[in-house]
Amino acid sequence: MAALALLPAAGEAIYFRDKISWRSAIAPSEMLTVEQARGWGDAAIWVDARPDDEFASDHVPGAISLNEDRWNELLPQFLAVWAPGKKIIVYCSSLSCNASREVARRLRKEAQLSDVFVLEGGWEAWLKKNR
Amino acid sequence: MNETSNVQRPTLNVESSASVTTSTIKNQKSYIFWRILDFVLAGIFIFAGLSKILDLDRLIADLQQLQFASALADLRNLSPASPAEFASGIDNFKILPWPVSVALAFYLPWLEIFCALALVFRFLYRGALAILSASIVVFTLGILAAKVRGLDITCGCFGHASQHWSFPAHLVTNLAILAGLLLLWVWNRLARPL
Repeated sequence: MAALALLPAAGEAIYFRDKISWRSAIAPSEMLTVEQARGWGDAAIWVDARPDDEFASDHVPGAISLNEDRWNELLPQFLAVWAPGKKIIVYCSSLSCNASREVARRLRKEAQLSDVFVLEGGWEAWLKKNR
Repeated sequence: MNETSNVQRPTLNVESSASVTTSTIKNQKSYIFWRILDFVLAGIFIFAGLSKILDLDRLIADLQQLQFASALADLRNLSPASPAEFASGIDNFKILPWPVSVALAFYLPWLEIFCALALVFRFLYRGALAILSASIVVFTLGILAAKVRGLDITCGCFGHASQHWSFPAHLVTNLAILAGLLLLWVWNRLARPL
């Protein structure tokens, strides 16, 4: 049974070979460093995927809070600010957090937005380079 | 004496035959109950597997709103789900390295489906029960470990359907499934000892 399941799994792995990275949870094309993000300047909009209290305590200047706890409430507020053509940079607290990845995924899938990127190292990395 | 004996004999036969019939009916009822449990658990695992292989979001949403015409249209337009989502779900537990999460994201849904089919067709039955029981135990331990470590996890056990389930909901579901599997295991051992 266990061996039998390997066959379709292998087929699926071949089918999705270009759509999933075996090295990193986020495809390299969807990830960017703090330097790259800063280089975009006003062409990008920052999205803070951390919980409300962490956003309230401090955040990237100009960032908009959009977390999964209050997704339905915050998404319309974000879409009101976002303009077509603007790149979206999502960050959460650190390298090990998942919130930015989830928010980026939902923005792509549920809000049908493209050009959504995840900041490598999150808020911690931004803080290191900017303070 | 002989007369009495002759009179009683047919009565005994009737009683014995009635008792055999009652026992057969009881066995049949018991068999039907266990087969239903087989089918229910198989259905859960087939749904769990399919929800990771296919994008069932729209279909589930339409079924929840009782929009059956739209659900039929969704069925015709089913597309494969991205294995990256389930791999992320596994990765959220922070137990396994990413490449292993990816491999499991490809493998586990099919394993669930094949083992569920084994329950339905009673083919390699005990092996399938053992695999499903072991996997449920591992998932439950993973959920518990994540809770203890304070991880806010997105399980993905049943695709997006379980995305916003609370920790107790995950735990209760897993324990109920495990209880069902163990019952089947015990019944199978009693019916046909190793």
